[in-house]
Amino acid sequence: MHEQHSPLIRLAKRDAMPRGQVWAIRGASFVAAILISALIFLLMGHSPLEGYGTMLSGALGKPTAVRQTVRIAIPLLGTALAIAPCFKMRFWNIGAEGQITAGAVGASYFALFWADRLPVPVLLVVMALAGAIFGGLWALVPAFFKARWGTNETLFTLMMNYIMIGVVKWLQGGPWEGRPGSQIIPQFDSAAVLPKVLGVHCGWIIVLVMTVAVFIYMKYTKQGYEIAVIGESENTARYAGMSVGKIIMRTMFLSGAMAGLVGFIVASGADNTLHSGVAAGVGFTAITVAWLAQLNPFAMIAISMLLGVLEKGADTLQTRLEVPASISDIITGIFLFCMLGCEFFINYRLIFRGGHKEVAGK
Amino acid sequence: MKKRLLAMLLAGAMMFGLAACGNSDEGSTQTPAGENTPAGTEETGGETKTVKVGLICIGDENDQGYTYNFIRGKDAVTEKLAEKGINVEWSVKWNIGEDSSCEEANLELAEEGCQLIINNSFGFEPYMLKVAPDYPEIEFIACTNQASWCDDLENTHNAFANIYEGRYLAGIVAGMKMQEMIDNGEITADQAVIGYVGAYSFAEVISGFTAYYLGAKSVCPSVTMKVQFVGSWSDATLEGNAAQALCDAGCIMISQHSDNTTPATAAQNAGVFHTGYNNDMISVAEDASLIGTRIDWSVYFEYAIEAVANGESFDQDWCHGMDEGAVVMTPLNEAIAAEGTAEKLAEVEEQIRSGELQVFDTSTFTVDGAELTTCLALDTDGDFVADSEEAVFDGAFHESYFQSAPYFTVEIDGIEWLNSAFG
Repeated sequence: MHEQHSPLIRLAKRDAMPRGQVWAIRGASFVAAILISALIFLLMGHSPLEGYGTMLSGALGKPTAVRQTVRIAIPLLGTALAIAPCFKMRFWNIGAEGQITAGAVGASYFALFWADRLPVPVLLVVMALAGAIFGGLWALVPAFFKARWGTNETLFTLMMNYIMIGVVKWLQGGPWEGRPGSQIIPQFDSAAVLPKVLGVHCGWIIVLVMTVAVFIYMKYTKQGYEIAVIGESENTARYAGMSVGKIIMRTMFLSGAMAGLVGFIVASGADNTLHSGVAAGVGFTAITVAWLAQLNPFAMIAISMLLGVLEKGADTLQTRLEVPASISDIITGIFLFCMLGCEFFINYRLIFRGGHKEVAGK
Repeated sequence: MKKRLLAMLLAGAMMFGLAACGNSDEGSTQTPAGENTPAGTEETGGETKTVKVGLICIGDENDQGYTYNFIRGKDAVTEKLAEKGINVEWSVKWNIGEDSSCEEANLELAEEGCQLIINNSFGFEPYMLKVAPDYPEIEFIACTNQASWCDDLENTHNAFANIYEGRYLAGIVAGMKMQEMIDNGEITADQAVIGYVGAYSFAEVISGFTAYYLGAKSVCPSVTMKVQFVGSWSDATLEGNAAQALCDAGCIMISQHSDNTTPATAAQNAGVFHTGYNNDMISVAEDASLIGTRIDWSVYFEYAIEAVANGESFDQDWCHGMDEGAVVMTPLNEAIAAEGTAEKLAEVEEQIRSGELQVFDTSTFTVDGAELTTCLALDTDGDFVADSEEAVFDGAFHESYFQSAPYFTVEIDGIEWLNSAFG
């Protein structure tokens, strides 16, 4: 009788697991990812050793390769930092893509039309501020609706992405177009380009400073504490006298402003122009980075670098071993899947039917 | 229960493992047979030179249009040069965007030791130019773009082909068909209307459809044309819809400057005729598609790669057409083309080849009712308005004469822009 009622596999929330065990599970999932990807290499007719060797040497083998990898990691880290406060608050901001794009638009306006009127350092600061403000305001819209009318922030922020990308497409073909009919906005004046430090645009310094700032903000300030409380329980926060709506809007503005700053970094440092793909999916990948890092800013540095290595390595894989680009995507996907999946086994355990003595023995 | 489950899992795992092994064997035998396996396959003769060439593509060969045409050029030139004792090793990057990922792709190929790097899309050039200065020993090519004559770099090149010549010939095929219909009384003279699906109101597109119209007009004097811009280089649905709208507006001949075959199928469904671009479209619309034209990139590739193999320099701005076979017509659909089309094509092709016939002969068209007497070709100060080099001389507008990228943007009489400048 009992057998029929209980499902084959049940899930149960785990109590806190010892640290060592948590890391053992994470390590095991990483090994699993390596083994499964090795199968993919075998299927493609390459030895897994050769495959991984190519990826590693392609991503870290030469100074130029390292620089390329860092360039991939910069916007990922910046954006993961941007969405961390929202996620801590359990406000699901999946609109970083649009906020990056909005920031890039703000920065590009000054890059295109003020480059000859402002001295270089001032121009760059103005571009950065414009990027932050544009990104912040774009994020403020869904936050306002959420605070005022309790709208669903997930859908709202997602939809805002497509609007902003549409705006850039219009700018590209309309008022900011360069050569008529080309749909391409001209390259920025060299004054509006972020200077390079150690061969990479100095966006990497900006995001590292942001990392420390976000860490301090979340851990040691009153505002950071408020965010954590709302994340745990909105009612507790309200009972403690916090103005939840105000905090949501403030945090979202801050989050959008950081994403907007990333938009400025990408437009000015990497692309030197504005185009509709400026965010290039970073707004979504950064969600993975933030989760994998458990919202810890310093862990985000490691995770974004790891993703940088995977992406650059996959690129080299495509060039050297001539595997199709989709194979490199599959391998990146396997790694992310295993790494995110293992968090599930850390938080839950599986109970098989009849697996427990008290059930089997009755 | 638990045991049975475990057994099932085990069996599953074993099957998966076996399948994986089986496939891996297959895979490893396939790879060496690949058409462009790097190294290892060097000829036994000591004469063989090897050139490592990178190619960066905006799409992949599945587009059956723009990038596919490059791949055809790549495969053809590999064969041609193999006969000359030059072994070409290709590294191809697919589906690269017109953004910093293009810069990364150029860097990657440069670091992989490519001696020549070809960028196949217009929007790639600014990103290529960020990498080129750091690798002076590598030659960089931006197809269809135009900065090499003013970027102060020795190792950058531009290339294009006089595709307007092919357009003109396709126009003749269309015009002869329409004239035949008029002569047979199937349509009246003023019903000879061409519908043209254009990507953007961009010089390359305008130059192309104007040449096409002039070709048609040379054999069918009453012809007029409507142009619909779709706002995309490649959007199958939009292109098909635009072609359908043009058919509904009374067009009896459809042509296109866009990547997909949907205008051809739309024309076939509407019972009208069609001429194509980039690819032979007869197979998708055998009752409609008369002919197509495309650039044969292998001609330029052969020129450039051979120069690199021999350590010689080559033109920074290259543009040829039928004179060197860089523009070719796809097969004529003899079953539905007007009588005598093939002969006429051969005759006009010869005239273009010898320079006897100028496509943009200013005596054959008017602008606002008057003959075109002056038009500047190049923009030298970067404001995107042409400011130097008179293109009209010796009774014709000289397209792709001062630079390879087209610069004809004049709106001539007889062509109606339905949605004028798009975007």
